[in-house]
Amino acid sequence: MTDPKSQPMIQLEKVDKFFGSFQALRDIDLVVGRTEVVVVIGPSGSGKSTLIRCINRLEKHDAGRVIVDGIELTDDVRNIQDVRKETGMVFQQFNLFPHLSVLDNVTLAPRQVRRMGKDESEKLAMKMLTRVRIPEQARKFPGQLSGGQQQRVAIARSLAMQPKIMLFDEPTSALDPEMIKEVLETMEELAATGMTMIVVTHEMGFARAVADRVVFMADGQIVEVGTPEHFFTNPEEERTKLFLSQIL
Amino acid sequence: MTIAAPRRRWVKKNLFGGVWSSLVTIGLGLAIGYVAFVLIRFLATADFTILRRNLALFMVGSFPRPELWRVAVAVLILAVAAGVAGGLINASARLRAHQAGLPVPAPPGPRSLVNGFRRYWPLALLIAVCLLLTETVTPTILVLGAIGILVASSWALARLPYSRWSWSLVVALPFVAYLVLSSSGLGWDKWGGFMLNIFLTVAGILFAFPIGLSLALGRRSSLPIVRTFSVAYIELFRGVPLITLLLLGVFALRLFLPSQLNPSSVTRILVAITIFEAAYIAEVIRGGLQSLPTGQVEAASSLGLSTWKTTRLIVLPQALRATIPAMVGQFISLFKDTTLVAAVGLSDMLNTSSIATSQPEFNARGLARITLPFVALAFWAGSYTMSREARRLERRLGIGER
Repeated sequence: MTDPKSQPMIQLEKVDKFFGSFQALRDIDLVVGRTEVVVVIGPSGSGKSTLIRCINRLEKHDAGRVIVDGIELTDDVRNIQDVRKETGMVFQQFNLFPHLSVLDNVTLAPRQVRRMGKDESEKLAMKMLTRVRIPEQARKFPGQLSGGQQQRVAIARSLAMQPKIMLFDEPTSALDPEMIKEVLETMEELAATGMTMIVVTHEMGFARAVADRVVFMADGQIVEVGTPEHFFTNPEEERTKLFLSQIL
Repeated sequence: MTIAAPRRRWVKKNLFGGVWSSLVTIGLGLAIGYVAFVLIRFLATADFTILRRNLALFMVGSFPRPELWRVAVAVLILAVAAGVAGGLINASARLRAHQAGLPVPAPPGPRSLVNGFRRYWPLALLIAVCLLLTETVTPTILVLGAIGILVASSWALARLPYSRWSWSLVVALPFVAYLVLSSSGLGWDKWGGFMLNIFLTVAGILFAFPIGLSLALGRRSSLPIVRTFSVAYIELFRGVPLITLLLLGVFALRLFLPSQLNPSSVTRILVAITIFEAAYIAEVIRGGLQSLPTGQVEAASSLGLSTWKTTRLIVLPQALRATIPAMVGQFISLFKDTTLVAAVGLSDMLNTSSIATSQPEFNARGLARITLPFVALAFWAGSYTMSREARRLERRLGIGER
């Protein structure tokens, strides 16, 4: 049996991205295999968020190719929709829909995009909320929950679309310290189920424990890629060493 | 005595806390006392015959008197519609509480009559003043009948099993009322008085809202032609005084229409009001759209929702909620602006005031000091009710706010 991680799920080839004259991504080459967990680290403004936002087309890349599960992202709206259906995203600011109850937040996409019935979608939603361990909050509104709970609802909301890929954009950066753990644990459990994940984070403990590979970015470029052991104990590049010495 | 002591302390602390505070309290107290004295003297000595004689004129303008029963029937039908709407809102709230496993509030009972009166006291005041000015008993019977029907239909609908289809009644009944009012050649051209002001406000809002919404969304469209058209429309009509548009509507609209079409002046006024209001409503909605964090749209897109579904399910519910205060302000100013139609010769309530004071019996007696406060009271009651209802709605929608 071949290792699923050798089959590509996400391929980025020579990707460039500009904001005006500022180059946010420069010549990015990265292949993420099925069930692989990749953690992206780097100083702020290095293009980490832009990188994962190009994967579900929240940002349009200006050059190169982005291929997600065999679908190349082009201007074709159907391709974009297909990729988004397979790709969940969790944001730093949670971005729950404040006018909808927790349950409605989670059932919205299955009903509207997957055309699932009310009962079926609610059963699915409760399953996902149980998975992130807050089924008892289903009838509340996001504003009534703590930050950690909101972020777990956001994870459940993405999971309800039964995505093949989950993208995390600094999921714990807006949380109080005591809530970071519950979210990281949820993500760790998710990784254990074989979900393909790209995680932008500053949580080095998480990177060490969960990542298959760590990607270090600076100035819109990928500086170094490696396993966590290699990366944290024996980095090759000067930039990496400098960055690690600053944060560890 | 035990109750009086804290009250005395409150008075001392808040009204006579120091020399300046005491002076302000005494000064304002004297001013309020003087105004109250003048007002009471006015109410006690003034002769309200002009209002008594012309109450129908103020309410419906020159609507043919033998046909007044149509207005009565329309009022009763609208009372049913309002009652049904109230009952349905109550029933759906209780159903939702039941589904969410929260304590279900009781259906409306005698207590809600008191609450209803407190909620709508400005309107109740206006109605009471009008009834005091009636010369026959018929209007009183009509008003009591309408209130009875409203309460009965509201209580009935709150107790019947909730069905979303019942809302079609709330939409259909005003049309029935309109047909009763306008059949046998009594189109809205024959309407006048307060009825015309209310009609122009309601119809203006109903027509202008969807147009304004489209313009607001158009202004943010990615299609340059749509965006340019929306911006041009908004900036053109927002830059013109309403009175100019009304005059243009009356005198120049014909130039743009085929000669067979010759809309009545009320229709032309309504077109002008709609055009004008749509531009303002568009700007109000744009404010709401801009207040929405971009993360909301990104989250919806990342879940695979189409642009249209994102707009309908995520953007608009939040944006429109944020615009309630500004929107109601806009509606209130439209309500008051409908008096401008007096300038193009329609007999709205403000104009009926001048019609009444120039009747031979009342001419040149300075009776505007009697009629204008009455007109002011009517508009104040309507505006203040809108404002109160908006605040109530805001509070209720506050649940689940970020």
